[in-house]
Amino acid sequence: MNNLNQVGFSLPDHNLKQEFDLLKQALDASIAGIIITDNQQADNPIIYCNQAFEHISGYQRSEIIGHNCRFLQKEDRNQAVLEKIREAIAKGQRCVVEIRNYRKDGTLFWNELYMSPVKGQDGKVNYFIGVQNDITRRKVAEQQVQSNQAEMERRIEERTRSLKENQEYLSSIVQTVRESLIVLQPDLKVMMVNDHFIRTFKVSREETEGQQLYDLGNGQWDIPELRQLLEQILPTNNPVIDFEVSHDFPYIGKKLMLLNAHRIELEGRYKDQILIAIEDITERRSIEQRKDDFLSIASHELKTPLTTIKGYMQLMNRLLTDESDRKLKSAVEKTSLYVERLNNLISELLDVSRIQSGRIELHKEPFDFDEMVQEAVESILQAQNTHQIEIKGRTECTVKGDESHIAQVVTNLLSNAIKYSPDNHKVEVYLSRVGDYVKAAIVDQGVGVPYPDQQKIFERFYRVSDMQKQFPGMGIGLYICSEIVKNHGGSLWVESKVGKGSTFSFTLPLEAEKGAGGEQ
Amino acid sequence: MNNSKVLICDDDPGILDMLELVLSEEGYQVIPESNSLRVAGLIKDKQPEIVLLDLWMPVLSGDQVLRNLRQNESTANLPVIVFSASTDGRMIAMEAGASDFVSKPFDLDLLINKIHFNLTNKGMS
Repeated sequence: MNNLNQVGFSLPDHNLKQEFDLLKQALDASIAGIIITDNQQADNPIIYCNQAFEHISGYQRSEIIGHNCRFLQKEDRNQAVLEKIREAIAKGQRCVVEIRNYRKDGTLFWNELYMSPVKGQDGKVNYFIGVQNDITRRKVAEQQVQSNQAEMERRIEERTRSLKENQEYLSSIVQTVRESLIVLQPDLKVMMVNDHFIRTFKVSREETEGQQLYDLGNGQWDIPELRQLLEQILPTNNPVIDFEVSHDFPYIGKKLMLLNAHRIELEGRYKDQILIAIEDITERRSIEQRKDDFLSIASHELKTPLTTIKGYMQLMNRLLTDESDRKLKSAVEKTSLYVERLNNLISELLDVSRIQSGRIELHKEPFDFDEMVQEAVESILQAQNTHQIEIKGRTECTVKGDESHIAQVVTNLLSNAIKYSPDNHKVEVYLSRVGDYVKAAIVDQGVGVPYPDQQKIFERFYRVSDMQKQFPGMGIGLYICSEIVKNHGGSLWVESKVGKGSTFSFTLPLEAEKGAGGEQ
Repeated sequence: MNNSKVLICDDDPGILDMLELVLSEEGYQVIPESNSLRVAGLIKDKQPEIVLLDLWMPVLSGDQVLRNLRQNESTANLPVIVFSASTDGRMIAMEAGASDFVSKPFDLDLLINKIHFNLTNKGMS
């Protein structure tokens, strides 16, 4: 303290010395670090520090006195607050700063520094008193809070962005799909429509969104079927798929639409909203119709010249006598056979078109099943002489169905049996009654169907590979057979071994009404 | 030999020629006609015993010709056999009042049998 005595504190007597010691002890008792710098000397050295300062800084008094305060900053010299300190020193003002300082062992501590100048009578700053508090814990907590806050903000921002992106993503999907979409509120006000809706129904977004569905475009959406869907069906069946609505719209004309509707069963913002996707199938139906018409006309037009050809062939046949040339006879016979094949192909094409459009016409009447099979076998036997066909068993049953179509199935299966058994000449037909069904099984000993193909041969236009050259065909016969049998409530299947032969069996229910599942 | 008069109306000349040849062979007197609008007049003039009528014909279709004939007292019971290549032809023909139906392409023996049958049963239906 000698130093202090010399420079400012001139203490006149013994009492003062005692008081001074007391003050010094008080300063040492403080938990705040206190230093005094002498600003009259070069580089403002520290001339006093209390015990708390030693404690905070980790330095011994002997290592502190005489140093400029900057030793506490070590290498960390670019702190913004230093400017504030310099300014305060220069101007001789008080200041409070928070500054990063470093203990002797190099660890950081945050120092809350109160600086106040001690001026002489001339107003010149002689000393600065620095009071320091280690606020590291507070600072760390603050920083923690700040960083938590920053992290929170970052997350919120990210979440918001991702939500926005999701929304944009979903919205771009909604706007891009080639199907009209409409979202309704529970009160059937239009919440949103997509671009396709606007284009298809030639409306503007403004006159659509926010309006009552049934009020749109002078009530053009007030369609009885749609009302039924929204008010009766949807509340009990959710979702509704492929609900067909046909409506004649002013301006855009008649539209055939398939609707998918879904009532959103969520709590909160989207509660009870109704999503409707509208597929405009007007064009598709019209194309299907045109295709059917085309096939029907084409088949009719093809059959007309065929009728003439067939007539002349039959005439030729009559004109032939026993004495006629053998080659000529054979030529006429073969030609007749191929005219018949051409006729069958044309009929099959028409049948496929009808089956596909679901317009196969069944005229169901009771008929004698055994007799029908007998007739089909006889007609095949008349048309060829390479194979024997033997009927085994009887059903003794009358079946209700379309006799000509069922006969077509039997004829087709017999023709196949013959066609695919070029090296064996026997085909057998087993008839039986099984429960409340009749069953016919056509058994050949021909080339057989490879196992992987056994299901596929009933598909339209399917051909077992490698067969086309030896056995040409269009791949529609079995498809037609299978569809006809299905339409009667029965089933058609095959069991086969390659090189051993095939058995094609079909069943028909005796109670056509029950078995056909509401057919016709 | 049968020498009944048969009026045949089909817009396709190929079928008309063929049927004329075949039915003449059978001994029939064939009156071929490709224009369905002339059928009613020809029936009046030539008094055929039976008519063979195609269904799909331009301007006046076979079923329309047939309906007109059935409305006229003098031809109400005239045997008319309709033929057609379309699958729903039978239904249309029967609804219009056909005596019989044969689908195209037809079997000549079947057609001739039907002509014979309808001539023999004339007036009984």
